[in-house]
Amino acid sequence: MELGRRIASRLRDATFDRIAHVGLANAARHRPHIRRSVLELATLPLGAGDTALVVAAGPSLHRRRSLERLAARGFRGTIVAVDSALAACLRNGIVPHVVVTVDPHDRIVRWFGEPALAAPSADDYFRRQEMDPVHAADEVSANRSVVALVDRHGSRLRVAAATSAAFSAVSRCRAAGMELFWWNPMYDDYERPDSVSRKLHGENGLPCLNGGGNVGTASWVLAHAVLGKSRVGIIGMDFGYPPDTPYEKTQYYPELREMLGERLGEAFVHIENPVLGEKWFTDPAYCWFRDVFLEMAREARCETFNCTEGGVLFGPEIKTSTLEEFLDHG
Amino acid sequence: MSEFLKGNYELKVEIEEKKEDAEHTATDEFERKALSRLGGSICFVSKKGFLWTGDAPKS
Repeated sequence: MELGRRIASRLRDATFDRIAHVGLANAARHRPHIRRSVLELATLPLGAGDTALVVAAGPSLHRRRSLERLAARGFRGTIVAVDSALAACLRNGIVPHVVVTVDPHDRIVRWFGEPALAAPSADDYFRRQEMDPVHAADEVSANRSVVALVDRHGSRLRVAAATSAAFSAVSRCRAAGMELFWWNPMYDDYERPDSVSRKLHGENGLPCLNGGGNVGTASWVLAHAVLGKSRVGIIGMDFGYPPDTPYEKTQYYPELREMLGERLGEAFVHIENPVLGEKWFTDPAYCWFRDVFLEMAREARCETFNCTEGGVLFGPEIKTSTLEEFLDHG
Repeated sequence: MSEFLKGNYELKVEIEEKKEDAEHTATDEFERKALSRLGGSICFVSKKGFLWTGDAPKS
């Protein structure tokens, strides 16, 4: 088995080891501020009908101009956006019904705008990432625009916040006037008596949602398992990189370069997209997200339409369609 | 192995570690390091459904 796939196959346990303690510490810190459960979202009028569109922040979102096309076509269903896609949505005049945030690390506050940011951060994450390219050129100016956008629309936004989410990100949401609806990440098998998920649920009473490794998959789970949508489209869910992407522009490049040195290239897995006929590539983390999504899609009680028009997510349980085809049948 | 076994004699021949073993050790080390720094922002639990709202009340 290739090195990249071998690492990917072991990321489920590694994610627990790396994330659980931070997420649980954040949950304890959030607890006095928790008022509403994510289950309440299902009782609110969030878009018409049984259709939802999940907006993730992969490179196809920009390459395919998915948000411009969504705004032009219009959509009466429910829009669920990941935190890193929020600003792009707002720039295109799309106010999502729900924004999902899960990441326990403080840097994630940037997706909601950091009012105090005065100089580029030492960490080059936002200049390098592919999720919102506007941060690459001038991150201070881009951040200022995000702050203004989020402040303008905050009172119309609902956030499905995992109790693992960074305290700074959630505080920023609250300050911008967003409504918060809480849930616990499912950390482990809740049927085991020593389960972390069971203990956390016992402490705060919130439902546990199986997040699938990343905020995009968690948003898809929310759309069908919490909001009860039976047709769920997804855009920007690439789980990979376009063929012309330099390795240094990928999510985990610094870590992989430091760890693997000259063997860096072995960590990437190349997969042909059968619809586009393009050979995309993915790193161990995205490769794991893809495998998990395909496993979860087999169990889901919804039809899933991948309207990303790029990436590496395809399989028997996922229908592929253009965004317009999906919207016109919504 | 040399951490655990120590001899009170000296061999007349030089024992070389097999190249394959050295490569496996290096690969294991790569993977161990990779696993400690890669991964997702949220866990995944296989075969446990999508949502757990607590135990159903016993009737």
